[in-house]
Amino acid sequence: MSVGYYFWILMGLPMVGAGVCALLRAPRSVLTVLIGAAAAETVVGAFLVKDIFAGAQDSVAWGWFYLDALSAYHLAILLLIYLLSTVYAAGYFRHELEAGVIRPGQFRRFGILWCGAVAAMALVIISNNIGAMWIGMEATTLMTAFLICVHRTAASLEAMWKYLLMCSVGVACAFMGTLLAVAAARGLPLAGSDVMLWTQLRAVATQMNLPLLKLAFLFLLVGYGTKAGLAPLHNWLPDAHSQAPAPVSALFSGFMLNTALYCILRYVAIIEVATGGAGWSLHLLQFFGLISIVVATAFILFQEDVKRLLAYHSVEHLGIISLGVGLGGIGVFAALFHVFNHSLCKTLAFFSAGRIGQIYGTHSMAHIRGTLKAHPVWGIGLFGSFLALIGVAPFALFMSELQIVFAAMDGRAYLALALFLAGTGAIFVGALKHAMAMAWGEPEHSAPALAAPASAAGITDTILVAGSLLVLLAVGLWMPEWYRSLLLRAAHIVEGKL
Amino acid sequence: MGLDTLFVFLVLTSIVLLGSSLLNSSIRVVALQGAVLSFLPLLVMEPTWAGRAVFLAALTMGIKGIVFPVLLLRSLREANVRREMQPLVGYSLSLALGIALLVLAFWLAGRLHGIGVGISALSLTAAFFMMFTGLFLIIARRKALTQVLGFLTLENGIYAFGLTGVGHIHWLVELGVLLDVFVAVFIMGIAIDHISREFDHINVDELDQLKG
Amino acid sequence: MNLISCLHMAVALILAPLMLGVINRTKARVAGRNGAPLLQLYFDLGKLLRKGAVYSRTTTWVFRAGPLIGLAAVLGALLVTPFGKSGAVLAFDGDLVLFAYWLGLMRFVTVLAALDTGSSFEGMGASREVFFSALAEPAFLLGLVGLARATDAISLSTILPSISAATWLAAGPALALIATAWLVILLAENARIPVDDPNTHLELTMIHEVMVLDHCGPDLGLILYGAALKLWVMGALLVSLLTPVRYGVVWQDALVFLGGMLILAVGIGLIESAMARLRLARVPQLLMGASALAVLALMLIMK
Repeated sequence: MSVGYYFWILMGLPMVGAGVCALLRAPRSVLTVLIGAAAAETVVGAFLVKDIFAGAQDSVAWGWFYLDALSAYHLAILLLIYLLSTVYAAGYFRHELEAGVIRPGQFRRFGILWCGAVAAMALVIISNNIGAMWIGMEATTLMTAFLICVHRTAASLEAMWKYLLMCSVGVACAFMGTLLAVAAARGLPLAGSDVMLWTQLRAVATQMNLPLLKLAFLFLLVGYGTKAGLAPLHNWLPDAHSQAPAPVSALFSGFMLNTALYCILRYVAIIEVATGGAGWSLHLLQFFGLISIVVATAFILFQEDVKRLLAYHSVEHLGIISLGVGLGGIGVFAALFHVFNHSLCKTLAFFSAGRIGQIYGTHSMAHIRGTLKAHPVWGIGLFGSFLALIGVAPFALFMSELQIVFAAMDGRAYLALALFLAGTGAIFVGALKHAMAMAWGEPEHSAPALAAPASAAGITDTILVAGSLLVLLAVGLWMPEWYRSLLLRAAHIVEGKL
Repeated sequence: MGLDTLFVFLVLTSIVLLGSSLLNSSIRVVALQGAVLSFLPLLVMEPTWAGRAVFLAALTMGIKGIVFPVLLLRSLREANVRREMQPLVGYSLSLALGIALLVLAFWLAGRLHGIGVGISALSLTAAFFMMFTGLFLIIARRKALTQVLGFLTLENGIYAFGLTGVGHIHWLVELGVLLDVFVAVFIMGIAIDHISREFDHINVDELDQLKG
Repeated sequence: MNLISCLHMAVALILAPLMLGVINRTKARVAGRNGAPLLQLYFDLGKLLRKGAVYSRTTTWVFRAGPLIGLAAVLGALLVTPFGKSGAVLAFDGDLVLFAYWLGLMRFVTVLAALDTGSSFEGMGASREVFFSALAEPAFLLGLVGLARATDAISLSTILPSISAATWLAAGPALALIATAWLVILLAENARIPVDDPNTHLELTMIHEVMVLDHCGPDLGLILYGAALKLWVMGALLVSLLTPVRYGVVWQDALVFLGGMLILAVGIGLIESAMARLRLARVPQLLMGASALAVLALMLIMK
């Protein structure tokens, strides 16, 4: 079977899943379909990326679908997070369905949108056509907007409105940027739709209209940057993350932000080729990255809601990733490494926070005490993921952040280094205080909202928590050779060296 | 000449939007802007694309000139809100800032036209001014409906840019923008509906529970 | 300076009050009344000039000098105002700036005289007048700059007569925008509806009228005559801009111009009949809008 079919199956599977979900009535069968679709999708994705992970250059189908080291890496992360979140969602919503917090109809809608959102994100990752990439991004926005307000509370509607408004403007800016990028390639010998293929654009990048290309990049950075939650365009992020159901928050934080950043990276590659590696776009990324770190620090230190805290952590970590890319050299490698680490870690954190929120009936950190005692599995999950998030050695996040420090020293970016260290240092202290307060102490004996799951820690939960933490530890301690080479190739693509 | 007049109209409608204080007249102005805009493909597209130009013009007229305004007017009626804008930035100041934005758009358009973009500096001025006005309305007006209007104006600007700024007319222009506008406003309309039902008002200002 | 332009100026001096008569007659007719005679303002002026004046003890020479200097200033403006398509008495490069300054001086002395009375009403009027003028002036000047640029001249007597049908064809949208902006400015500067109501009796809502409440007799006559002249000079600019025909024959051009002024007066009358006075808070918005139009016009011309 040629690789082209896999691309189509990859896109088609979630859509079929969404269609089936729309027909089903019982929440339990919707759940089964969701898990089945996620598993099948992961298998298809594994077939797609395995050659590239093994060292093949890239695979193209029909000119529009394209997979190289960068996109294969992102696709793999997407599918991993998707699979984990779906499995987790099964447990999460089962309790809510039993308690009657969510109605079967709402759950069916969740199923449809969940599949749709994954299809849209996959489209962004695998499309070679910058127009299709944008369409995928827009579809992601639309799908996820409704995922935020699955529960249809006043606060979730507010979050959805902010999200939709800010991101639709962002997506509009990105469209403007896409138009400008196409305009920058005008007059070059490109036939028909070729002018919108990323591979073609990169091939002719040196002949493109550079001022126009730079303007395009500004629009794209602001547009997709809004979607990626880079400060100061992050305002929607804490609201959306805190109001969405935990699996959705996990998918948001674990991958949707990275999808947007991925788009920016694609354009960074073109700009770097066009400017001959002058680093113009990298400086911009560095700037936004630092702002994000600083802003996130301020909000993390004085945060009361655990999900909002995690959301600001996302702002921080996306900032770290952009900073890493912006530093260039080993920084790009480290940033890409950090993408996986952060995604996995943040997913686990939201899983734990979501379930602990269900158990305690609140997300207010002042009322969450003694999680280790109340629910050992998720308590360990929350505390462990917090430790990893703030960069405790030897978790993988520590390693990638350390490499970013090296990159900053290599590039003599001492101001950036100072801000980065100050920000992460302050967050280390601030978040550790929150994490320890939640982990130890005596649980308040108020009536919990969902008492049932408190005692029963399923085997799935344990595997989710233990597996994620072990992987984070393992990758931190030892990086396989194929993984290193994959990241190196992806970094070269971003830096325009291929 | 005809083209210039069209762009002047587009700029004028945006200026009126900045100074307009009534919601339903703003909706009508946006409708007028969309209708004026729908003639643009007919004027700028090459004769070989005549069929597409007519299609695009009809589509634009239908969606931006008729469907959206009707939907917006209906939701305005049903939401039963006060007809005034309740701006965060006063109308006179809005207009003054609008003049500044106009100058900015003119400067930017001049620079861009200098490096070979767009059929004329005026077309780019109009496009950028609509975008800026849209963004400004989104930021400086309180009502959810006004933000939708601002978004529409922003979209109109991008659409005008796509038609006049990118030489070869691309499927990106027609699919992208129309899809985007259609879906965005459609969904926003629903959202307004929900939000007004949930809060009995459509004041974004009062969407302030989530902080920090 | 030649005889014909002096003659033109004399015509302007004589006919200016008639314009207000036409406006008032139009308004009366639209409202279904017969209205005051066309020459009412002449009668008023005659009566006022024959009267004596009463001066408050709190006022100084500033108060007495106000109407005189004001009239002198507007006469100065009239000197550089072209009579339709034929040049003004005085014409030199840059006289358009002088024109603006003459009008500015007139406003300045009126405001000073109003402040000199020490009355709070007049202070309020002065404040409003200055605020609105500050907003109106940029629009007027930007329009002038646009026209100067379009016709490549910097004298009023060259700019306005050289606006022809060809200019309109080349820069029609821009000229139309300037004309619209100027019409708004004309209404605002001459205290017409929708900015100010010349017939109002409530001091709180007045702008221009409230500033001259304390003047009486010959002083008031001078002020009324000055106001009529101001309407004339600003109307003259607008009419010259809007009439792109030029025959080259003195009496034909004069006829076209006077016809234009008549139409303008009727037009103002109709506007005043059709519109209500704007709330004071909305006036800056209107003037800002006019400025925006002028800026846009300038851009169109400069592109």
